[in-house]
Amino acid sequence: MTEHMQNPLNHPEVQLANGRAYLASFIISMLLMTVGLWLAVAHITTPFGTVLMTSFLAGVVVIIQGYFILHMDISHAQMWHTVAMVLFLPLFVVTIGLTAWMFHGLYQRTMIMPPAASSMAHVPSMPH
Amino acid sequence: MLVHLQGPWTPLLGRLTLQQIPYHVPILVVTFIVVAILAAVVLAATTYFGKWGYLWREWLTTVDHKKIGVMYILLGLVMLLRGFADALMIRTQQAMAVGPSSPGYMGAVHGYLTPFHLGQIFTAHGLIMIVFAATPLLVGLMNIIVPLQIGARDMAYPYLNALGLWLTTAGAALVMVSLFVGNFAHGGWYGFVPYFELPYSPGVGVDYWMWTFQLAAIGTSLGSINLIATIVKMRAPGMTWMRMPMFTWASLSTNLIALTSFPVLMVALALLGLDRYVGTHFYTSGMGGNLMLYNDLFWVWGHPEVYFLILPAFGIMSEIIPTFSEKTLFGYVTMVIASFAIGGVSWGVWLHHFFTMAAAPSVNSFYSVTTMLVGIPTGVKVFNWIFTMYRGRVRYELPMLWALLALFLLLVGGMTGMMNAFASNDYMWHNGLFVVAHFHMMVLVIAASIFGAVEYWFPKVFGFKLEQKWGKWFFWFMILGTGWTFVPMFLLGFGGMTRRLDYIHYTQWSPYLHIMLIGMVFYVIAVLFFVAHLYVSLRDRAENRSGADAWGTGRSLEWATHSPVPAYNFAITPHINALDEWAWRKENGLTELHPGNYEGIHMPKSTGVPFFLGILFMGLSFALIWRIWWLALVCVALIVALIIIRSFDRDTDMTIPAHEVEQVESGARDGTSENLPTAGVLGGTVIAHSVPQSGTGGINGSTTSTSPAWAPMDR
Amino acid sequence: MSASAAQKVDPAHATLWARHYPGHDMIGTRTFGFWLYMLTDAMVYAALFATLGVLSHVVNLAGGPSPSAFINPVYAYGETITLFLSVLIYGYSMVALKNGNRGGVIGSMFVAMLLGVIYLVIAGIDIGNMFAHGVTPQVSGFLSIFFTVIIYHALHILVGVVWMLVMMVQIAREGFSANVVYRLINLRLFWHFQAVIWVFVFTFVYLQGMVA
Repeated sequence: MTEHMQNPLNHPEVQLANGRAYLASFIISMLLMTVGLWLAVAHITTPFGTVLMTSFLAGVVVIIQGYFILHMDISHAQMWHTVAMVLFLPLFVVTIGLTAWMFHGLYQRTMIMPPAASSMAHVPSMPH
Repeated sequence: MLVHLQGPWTPLLGRLTLQQIPYHVPILVVTFIVVAILAAVVLAATTYFGKWGYLWREWLTTVDHKKIGVMYILLGLVMLLRGFADALMIRTQQAMAVGPSSPGYMGAVHGYLTPFHLGQIFTAHGLIMIVFAATPLLVGLMNIIVPLQIGARDMAYPYLNALGLWLTTAGAALVMVSLFVGNFAHGGWYGFVPYFELPYSPGVGVDYWMWTFQLAAIGTSLGSINLIATIVKMRAPGMTWMRMPMFTWASLSTNLIALTSFPVLMVALALLGLDRYVGTHFYTSGMGGNLMLYNDLFWVWGHPEVYFLILPAFGIMSEIIPTFSEKTLFGYVTMVIASFAIGGVSWGVWLHHFFTMAAAPSVNSFYSVTTMLVGIPTGVKVFNWIFTMYRGRVRYELPMLWALLALFLLLVGGMTGMMNAFASNDYMWHNGLFVVAHFHMMVLVIAASIFGAVEYWFPKVFGFKLEQKWGKWFFWFMILGTGWTFVPMFLLGFGGMTRRLDYIHYTQWSPYLHIMLIGMVFYVIAVLFFVAHLYVSLRDRAENRSGADAWGTGRSLEWATHSPVPAYNFAITPHINALDEWAWRKENGLTELHPGNYEGIHMPKSTGVPFFLGILFMGLSFALIWRIWWLALVCVALIVALIIIRSFDRDTDMTIPAHEVEQVESGARDGTSENLPTAGVLGGTVIAHSVPQSGTGGINGSTTSTSPAWAPMDR
Repeated sequence: MSASAAQKVDPAHATLWARHYPGHDMIGTRTFGFWLYMLTDAMVYAALFATLGVLSHVVNLAGGPSPSAFINPVYAYGETITLFLSVLIYGYSMVALKNGNRGGVIGSMFVAMLLGVIYLVIAGIDIGNMFAHGVTPQVSGFLSIFFTVIIYHALHILVGVVWMLVMMVQIAREGFSANVVYRLINLRLFWHFQAVIWVFVFTFVYLQGMVA
């Protein structure tokens, strides 16, 4: 630990920089995001299917990025970073998930849907 | 700007006009005069005693966690008094305005406060008590004690620590300013929409509420990062996780709660701010807004927040009870697990604050169950405290009395909480006084723990104990006040009385309201006893000098250094060998606190930047409240510039040379009740640059450490 | 991490004072604290995405335009390319730091910064176009959250660009002191985190908006 006092560049968090990992992450992320874009633009499947597939792709990309560019591993230098992230992840799920569950139920109970209520795309006028 | 504002707006002063100063409200005029006189007295006294330099050097620019903690506690106590004044006004109004024939004074139809005025009072009462009284008091205690308990010299981010203090102070100052310039929000402290939206709250009150809340939130968030990083990374050698004192564990759990939940508050408030400033439609009724969204986001923060407040209180109890039972804490491991279980479960219960808002029955049931689950780890803690006392040598000194009061109040508050957890029950008494009485019981647990902690750790920080006699009068009158105020409140809750009433129609509730007013009288007397307690303690401090182990039976590491604690905490970082390290050392006769062969100690330097940033943030918030755009831009630019300029400062640390450490150590006596040459708070609080011997005023020139006279930007 | 009972220290041979204790790992502590801050920022995004989920019902369109009508995939994709590229180049800057190569660090950081600026230009044009067509946050609840998310993200990129500028000056001035090094690591955490956040923004705001 004392070496850091002498030369900060020897600190493990500096030394873990890895050019190949960064490049790999870039390539994979670009690839999968392009696939996702194609899925959405070309309307390959139903909207719900697109939502599912793009969400899945996003999940994969994020895990890859987490490992390669955020260095989320359990090495000694990065252990606490990973622990902190692992602590937060369920809370993200809870915040978004429980909110979604709450409002889904609420909408079912309180939103009276008019019959032709799908996309309201081309109504740009805004009452003020 | 982009929204339609009611009232005048000028480019120079925004919405600020002379009409915004309430010189036609007698209560406020009197308050202002009193405040002005007090301020003038303080300023005059400071000038007369020539203490401006001392104030700037030792307090306003310090980054020492102990002094910052003391300032937090001072802020909390002042705001506690303000919040109490608000409570007194609420109780008085409600005692007076009962029945259609009750008279009205000072423009009110009944009682003496108009609904508009009372609205601001109960809104301010709630916000102040939670955010500007309880939070700073607890954060101050954690600031002082946690580094001492883990054997560190300071926190991980001393500069950020000071910044958090000054941001919180800026928020508190703005709340006080709202008394005299403009008004405060008047719809309750949690700001429900659409009432808090611009069409229904067109004045500046909600903006005051919003920005002061945000300032405090930023301060607490920064503090939570600081404390977690400190606990995780800066424990002394040998202090494994399972050797950490319970208060530190509680601090870790509590700050994890703060870390994870405050961002959501900031979002809830920011979206409301966007609605009010930019004209978005997050929470508007109509145009695609969703009212329940605000409640959802707010209470995602709001519930973990109350656990953020109670966990340090539990931690305090876990420190006091073993010390005054002369036994190690029963069930240490389960206590640790329970602390984190409480924190974790508290993240999944927030809907119980809006059971009645039309969520599906399955959703309500889920949250009911999770709310009840929180009772289990809390119960574990209660039993562990009791088992700690069992067969211990219990001494009923003041800190212990407070801890036991806290325990009792926890039982009442906790069980009524469990009653509230049933959604079906809540449907009957939502928005009634039963809930109010429940959470006041819980907040009084926190208050009792805080008073206990102040009694307990005061000698460590200041070097002398607080006296006992007036302290005990204070204690008993607090109990009287609590009983007389809140037992009727529970009964009124059952009777159906709702919250936030400025006029009560049912005269059969009148006796209860009058009894509650008597309770407030007891509280007022208690406050007077508290003042006497402090005064007599200060006056008699020479007789009550204490040494390192002030209570004789301290168990954790903070008792292994001198009282008052030197600036560097420990002359040599201790090596930890056991849980309850100090108790272990005493058992094995290893109580020598002057190990000798001192080395120079590397410490951070004082800096005025946090103080100036606090002022700038206050200016920014004021500008945003009054929509003075040029001032807001100037403040933002200055803030950014100051932060960047500070980052270029290479001279942020200093070293206390070894001979000076030697001097301080030899001056520090560790026995009790000895007459030291400089008995006194001012010279001997925390020895940063001075030595506890009369005559030597500060560090003399032969060192490489700070020079006394300096310009703020040098640091 | 065993209980104290299993690690009884013999008092006769116990070390009481850690003499010559070198102190805590300042760089590691500061990067850990900054990472905690980044996680709170992620929580802000989580709350914003929760809001996005709530305000995505057709009622929240308030009769105004739906995202499939106005989202331009070209700009979104352009932002993706520039941001990911910038993150990569900053990564190379950190590799140069590992090797103590001052010129390499500053040079790569400069390129990363330029790419960040290009990102901001693209975002600016995209949002400007939307505003010009009357698609503004004041139109509906959905648009309020839509713009809040993308503008909040763009603000992060702006902060990162400014930070890189400041760091380039500091490196030129101080070299690789401990303070500069931990700030560079913090900036790496910050900047790389933006790539992760962008994946979510791109997917849940743009892509799923396009097919809504």
